[in-house]
Amino acid sequence: MAEGKPRMIFLGPQHPGAPGNVAFKVWLKGEKVVKAELVPGFLHRGFEKMMENRWWEVDVVLSPRYCVEDPDNFELAYVLAVEDLFGVEAPEKARIVRTIVAEMSRIQSHLFWLMHMGGATGARYIPAWAMAAREEILRWYDYVTGHRIYHHYMTPGGIRWNVPKDFKEVTLKTLNRVMPMVKDIEDAFVNNRILRARTEGIGVIKGYVAVQLNATGPTLRAAGIKYDVRKVDPYEAYGDVDFEIPTGTEGDAHDRIVVRIREIYQSKHIIEQLVERVKPDDLNYRVKMPLLPPPTLPWPAVARHGEGMSRVEAARGEAMVHVVGIKDRKPYRVKLITPSMPLLTTVMDYIIEHEDVTIADLPIIVMSLDPCPPDIDR
Amino acid sequence: MSTVEGHAEGKDEILELIRRSLPPGKFKEVVPTRWPRRYIVFIDAWAIRPVMEALKAAGFDRFVAIEAIDWYNIEPVFELLYYVESVKLGGPLVIVRTKIPRNNPEIDTIRDIYPLAHWQEIENYEFFGIRFRGHPDLRLWILEDNWEGPPPLRKDFDTVKYVLETYYGGKKWERPVKRREPPPPRGEE
Amino acid sequence: MALKALLLGMKYLFKRPYTMLVPEKEPPMTTEKTRGRHLLDMSKCVGCRMCQMVCPADAIKMYKVEGDFKQNPKKIFPGIDFNRCTFCALCVEVCPTGALSMTDITGWYMTTTDTRTNLRSPYDLAAELAKNEKPDFRVTITKQTFLYQTKKRG
Repeated sequence: MAEGKPRMIFLGPQHPGAPGNVAFKVWLKGEKVVKAELVPGFLHRGFEKMMENRWWEVDVVLSPRYCVEDPDNFELAYVLAVEDLFGVEAPEKARIVRTIVAEMSRIQSHLFWLMHMGGATGARYIPAWAMAAREEILRWYDYVTGHRIYHHYMTPGGIRWNVPKDFKEVTLKTLNRVMPMVKDIEDAFVNNRILRARTEGIGVIKGYVAVQLNATGPTLRAAGIKYDVRKVDPYEAYGDVDFEIPTGTEGDAHDRIVVRIREIYQSKHIIEQLVERVKPDDLNYRVKMPLLPPPTLPWPAVARHGEGMSRVEAARGEAMVHVVGIKDRKPYRVKLITPSMPLLTTVMDYIIEHEDVTIADLPIIVMSLDPCPPDIDR
Repeated sequence: MSTVEGHAEGKDEILELIRRSLPPGKFKEVVPTRWPRRYIVFIDAWAIRPVMEALKAAGFDRFVAIEAIDWYNIEPVFELLYYVESVKLGGPLVIVRTKIPRNNPEIDTIRDIYPLAHWQEIENYEFFGIRFRGHPDLRLWILEDNWEGPPPLRKDFDTVKYVLETYYGGKKWERPVKRREPPPPRGEE
Repeated sequence: MALKALLLGMKYLFKRPYTMLVPEKEPPMTTEKTRGRHLLDMSKCVGCRMCQMVCPADAIKMYKVEGDFKQNPKKIFPGIDFNRCTFCALCVEVCPTGALSMTDITGWYMTTTDTRTNLRSPYDLAAELAKNEKPDFRVTITKQTFLYQTKKRG
């Protein structure tokens, strides 16, 4: 069998090892993977066109919906871009609360991913605790924002309503419930000998090659490169909090697990610093937005039309939103730049080219990159 | 958010670096923006390959995306924005902007300079119909098997109307239900 | 290491499960801010169509209702298609008179065959709220939720 022609099989979109709504055409020689080609588009809904047909503030409802797992960072990206275009600055309280909400989103995204990672490695029992921890965060979201998954809590100009009176206590209580579970998962799953044997040395992207492959997010940091948009281009309240960028050394699948676990601790650290500064009685949390964008903005020698741009670090890597507004109630163009596309194309190709990947390793590699396929499709 | 005054200290260095490393005569202008450490390079469409090569050599190593804007009745062009950032220099971002005519949207490919550009060019081909010269694999990728119409993100094309007419049978609220013929009754002969 | 994992596993074995027995044992989980089924105060609605215009999912249609509504000369009221609704509360935010608000009726409460909660219209909910002192739902999002300090720019 190992001789002959490679045989093509279809992996996904309903395969348990596939990360959601995406498929791969995998060419196999024996059980060795020769080539894997991404087949996206199962969840294409045309967000960029839909946003052109709706009002500025209504698009907030659409903006998180292309990534279920990490909605708030993408919502934040859109909101920041619109504020940038309109020239509005959100009050300090809104910026702090939005940072907390976005960091919670990062924690729950990583926890959700931990469950998937367990599924890919065949560990079903322990990562289920991650879902329990995520459930605590979803309850916190329901308490603060009103919904569990898509929150629509941010709006251009601030947050939509005030935080509850006992915001600080509830947030700290939630973290105190989540963190012991993360610690247990770390002890029982991440440092487990079986998982190490299964993930170490697999899917190696080490050093500067990760940049050359245009990878982003935890994949880049696990390769040993200290790069985080929250540090290099601080937005919201990240400029005045203290946190570290965890990096890996080997750049294999296990390093990516470790980096994400350490990011959860860093997020907790950020939230603990910021939650002290939230004053529930402060009513200055939202600025009235003008209906129309200003016709031009003080760009030196650039287009006649206003443009706004934002750059955030989502849970999967760098996300950007670029909005163009002519003087209209609706955006002229919204470009959503999302982090998952390099992970499943260039990085996957590189790994398969440089390693002996078997069909059993493929789900582990795909899952350890943590792509969010809907944001490829949009 | 940043203001024009709020530029970081290293601004001039990176601006000078970009000016110095770009091939002379192949770019129109390099401008700082109101965002700190983000720069815009205006070029003509024919110069995309030398400019991107020079930027990569200057240390702008992470390719982010290609964006197309259809300035339909404002100006008959597609504006292309190439986002490149530098991990080596600690995160500055360069946007290379160029314009190509709307009736003949063609530009050279840069897929061999940055690997991700291969996929970004396919995406822009299917959504805007921009042809990248030298790209061997322009096809429907995200829209594969789901789309027969013209490129959907162009401004002169009413996507909603087309979808309603083509896929929803003209109805806004539900898909047309194809009622299957009931199977013929079992013969009793 | 393996022993530690085993011990931790034993710890979680005796914990209460996080799964909830909905609908047999427990109602859908709600909090004070849960955005659920709408509530329409027809004595306040002026039929301005703002909610219809703002709705991102195109879920609101205006329906003509006969009756004595002095404030609503066209006698049109929003009807919400809950199959399309995303519960973003933009219609509540934009409503100029505060006629629309939201309750915490979510999940299987919205579609159950239980006669007590079977798909009551927003209008019915408001009527129940008016005559019943202790209704089996609570109003969570109202116009007041969105009131904020309007700060002039510049």
